[in-house]
Amino acid sequence: MAENSIVLGMADLMVVSAPIKLVTLGLGSCIGLVVYDTLARVAGMAHIMLPDSRGLKTSEKVGKFADTAVPALIEEMLRKGAARPRIKAKIAGGAQMFSLPGASAEFLTVGAKNVAETKRRLHALGIAVIASDTGGNKGRTIEFSTSNWMLKVKTLGKGINEI
Amino acid sequence: MIGSPDTPSFNDRQLDAIREAGNIGTGNAATALSGLLSRRINMDVPKTELVSIYELAEHYGDPLQTVGAVFVRSTGGFQCSLIFIQPEQDAQLMVQLLLQNQFGGSAIPAGEIPQEIYDSALGEVGNIVLSSFLNAINLLLGTQHQISVPGTAHDMLASILDVVASIYGQLGETALLVNTELSAEGLEDGRRISGHIIMIPDPESLSLLLRKLKVI
Repeated sequence: MAENSIVLGMADLMVVSAPIKLVTLGLGSCIGLVVYDTLARVAGMAHIMLPDSRGLKTSEKVGKFADTAVPALIEEMLRKGAARPRIKAKIAGGAQMFSLPGASAEFLTVGAKNVAETKRRLHALGIAVIASDTGGNKGRTIEFSTSNWMLKVKTLGKGINEI
Repeated sequence: MIGSPDTPSFNDRQLDAIREAGNIGTGNAATALSGLLSRRINMDVPKTELVSIYELAEHYGDPLQTVGAVFVRSTGGFQCSLIFIQPEQDAQLMVQLLLQNQFGGSAIPAGEIPQEIYDSALGEVGNIVLSSFLNAINLLLGTQHQISVPGTAHDMLASILDVVASIYGQLGETALLVNTELSAEGLEDGRRISGHIIMIPDPESLSLLLRKLKVI
């Protein structure tokens, strides 16, 4: 069956029922988090920008921060019929686009912090990360298929990695 | 204080003052680039723009477009981050022109320049453009500054702009961009080299700029 694609923008968060392809374009330091339950045939994606909301106003999009996106995504999965023990996660993104030798520019390493915080939050909810393609210094475009539950990761000059 | 942390707001006089600082910086950057390439450089009037951090890539073009980018961090009295960003083919053409200009002889086809040399030359041009921009602004403000080694990247526009989104994302949902475009003319086949300078001032440096320009 043909899958229609939904493209998620920065800080978007969405849960869908199969068959739909979830896509997000040009992840740099951001994270593409995918969670799915193959039995309930539901899948969710979040385009996470930063690790920690640090109590910033909740008027902002919940998908923006790892600490708010992970619980919101799992909650939405459960609402759409997923069962928590069956939910699995895949992660891509979290690159460091620039490195400045010798300069103290902590904000350039936000990608690694996004990966660590997303994993920590998933672990706290008992969700297993079964595959990931993170880090490095290249951007990624990702597509998650709800027909074979595979995450296609496209990197400029490196081709496609399916995880 | 410039607005509240999550909703930066500026009056027209403040936006004008920030733009004027950008204008002075860009003029100096254009002169430097012109000297490097031995070509006339056009600059457009800089804009001060408030853009949603969720729509940064769309603001500049196709999110999947490949771009060449140089990033530097400036510390001292006026702290900021700066990016010089160009369509990849423009960056290649610029490096080609630079190498031809500096070492003479005929043009090396862009594809035959070793990646390492290409990157290092691109980083150096970006460094000179951005340093010139910063020198003018620091002179205007009477501040001292130090500039980092340049970092270069070639990637999708959206991935590169994650850097800008993550800096502003920690403060709120709006990015203040001091935005300007430079372009070289007098190239063969009517080809064009263009590039954007994006300045991202730290919040306290923005306050300093507005104080010094007497609009706060």
